[in-house]
Amino acid sequence: MIKIFIIALLINNVVLMRFLALCSYIGMTSDVGQSVGMGFAVTFVTVLATAATWPLYHFVLAPLNIGFLQILVFILVIAALVQLVEFYLKKNVPGLYAAMGIYLPLITTNCAILAVTFENISYKYSFIESVVYSVGVSAGYLLAMVLLAGVRERIKTSPIPKFLQGTPILFVATSLIAVAFMGFSGLVK
Amino acid sequence: MNRYWKIFKQGIINENPLLMLMIGLCSALAVTTNVQNGVGMGLAMTFVLLFSEIIISAFRKVIPSSARMPIFIIIIAAFTTVIDLVMKAYFPALSKSMGVFIPLIVVNCIIMGRVEAYSYKQKVVDCVFDSFGMGLGYTWVLVGIAAFRELLGNGTVAGFPLFEKLGFVGFQPILFFILPPGGFLVFALFISFNIWLKKRMAKSAKAIAAEVAA
Amino acid sequence: MMKGLIKLGITLAAFAAAACVGLAFVNQATEKQIKINADIQLAESLRELFPTADSFDAIITSELEWNNVDIKLGEARVVKAAAESVGIAVMASGPSYGGPATILVGIDIDGKVAGVKILDLKDTPGLGANAASVNYFVDKAKQTTFPDQFKGRAIDDGLKVKQDGGEIDTITASTITSRAITKIIKACGDAATARFIAGGK
Repeated sequence: MIKIFIIALLINNVVLMRFLALCSYIGMTSDVGQSVGMGFAVTFVTVLATAATWPLYHFVLAPLNIGFLQILVFILVIAALVQLVEFYLKKNVPGLYAAMGIYLPLITTNCAILAVTFENISYKYSFIESVVYSVGVSAGYLLAMVLLAGVRERIKTSPIPKFLQGTPILFVATSLIAVAFMGFSGLVK
Repeated sequence: MNRYWKIFKQGIINENPLLMLMIGLCSALAVTTNVQNGVGMGLAMTFVLLFSEIIISAFRKVIPSSARMPIFIIIIAAFTTVIDLVMKAYFPALSKSMGVFIPLIVVNCIIMGRVEAYSYKQKVVDCVFDSFGMGLGYTWVLVGIAAFRELLGNGTVAGFPLFEKLGFVGFQPILFFILPPGGFLVFALFISFNIWLKKRMAKSAKAIAAEVAA
Repeated sequence: MMKGLIKLGITLAAFAAAACVGLAFVNQATEKQIKINADIQLAESLRELFPTADSFDAIITSELEWNNVDIKLGEARVVKAAAESVGIAVMASGPSYGGPATILVGIDIDGKVAGVKILDLKDTPGLGANAASVNYFVDKAKQTTFPDQFKGRAIDDGLKVKQDGGEIDTITASTITSRAITKIIKACGDAATARFIAGGK
């Protein structure tokens, strides 16, 4: 099970190796604090979503042979969870709520979360394995976010060639971080 | 007619969803390891965008504003499921090759964003042109990136060994481009190119306007 | 206020219901074709592994001894030619580098591997994905692909990659994929061997 976690966190990192959750990756990494907040919010939603969708599929959708409703049901569950998180933050942590702005409801469209809920099923994971996987993926997301935020803060004062200014340099930086992450591939037997 | 052309054109360069608006990125980089996947994804996304925009625009008077997000999700998810099932049935190899990214069309920010910003407020016919424009803008970038990555990373275009046939025998494919870091790098170059293109077009539009005024 | 909320709920439910009904129709229309596609792929692969066979009878999977937790058993068939059993085919999927790998393993009645067909592999193109490629050879002189080298091997402890003390050649720079696939083949082989020993054919 540690294997599932390590592979999700480092070897097959959800952002750097699998290209998921890129919109928020580019949008919410202007500073490290923001990215940590976002990372934790996504972790919360992902684990809850796994806990909700796994039983839904195995005890409702599959036995009733309505597996084709998987996309519809899963995304609605995630949307509902994000709404709950929004209400909670608005009431209890208004500072973070204001800081996250539009990106909070956008967690619903975070491809990584939906991808995890789907893969829990298609990889035929048990419930515990699914939860471990979701934690691993979210941790990988948090890691990638913090790394890029750190890089962004550093290059704020660097001379960037004109044709790479703005978003292109971020992708070049990501490309380099991704190369570094490829070095993790020997970690697990 | 001119008006429809304008709506259509917007999505291709000026408001290109991938390169300018920076939305819908995940699928764009993940499926562009070869051209067939790029084309398949572009068409699938356009299908879902088109029908979602049409339905939401057609029912926009009936959809209450406070519950619009869940309803949008229901509609988009429904069409995503349709394209998923259709592909599994009639294009099984392509469907397998794209894997989880077909269901992920439902959270493609392009569709969500467009539906909220545009089709909830506009007429159905306008939405048809808008979705085709956005779809084309999305697809051309996808195919471009895919062609680049596949050609340099594998020596082929859609499986066709282009370099070999052109006589460049012994071309050693640069694996880097098919791997994730290569994808990010190629995308950076495409964004850079599109920014330049937009500036050029704005410059020449200004120049023409200045000439006309003079 | 209540009335507004109820109206909201009804509208939502109406859209959801319409979506479900519409999807049910599409599902009905495509279900058959999807099943046919899967069957065709399996049938073709089975014929590739056992070219002389004429029938493949399904084995109830609970009848097979399966001890592996990571690798999940898919389906199994008894392969017959002219009503005589010539072997067993087992399909299983297990974790590989980029996701689960699904493999069909044919074992003949002598307990040796008749053939291996990789049905689904999600590993890196150019590296792990070469396991399924017809152009990648582990033995360039004999032009043996990765799955080819399993043909004719006994299902014993030697069925491991060279790095683990066995005899299987790995794909360059893709030890994880090679190891994962070998493990799946061994698991399938063990299940088939157990069935042979137990007297089943």
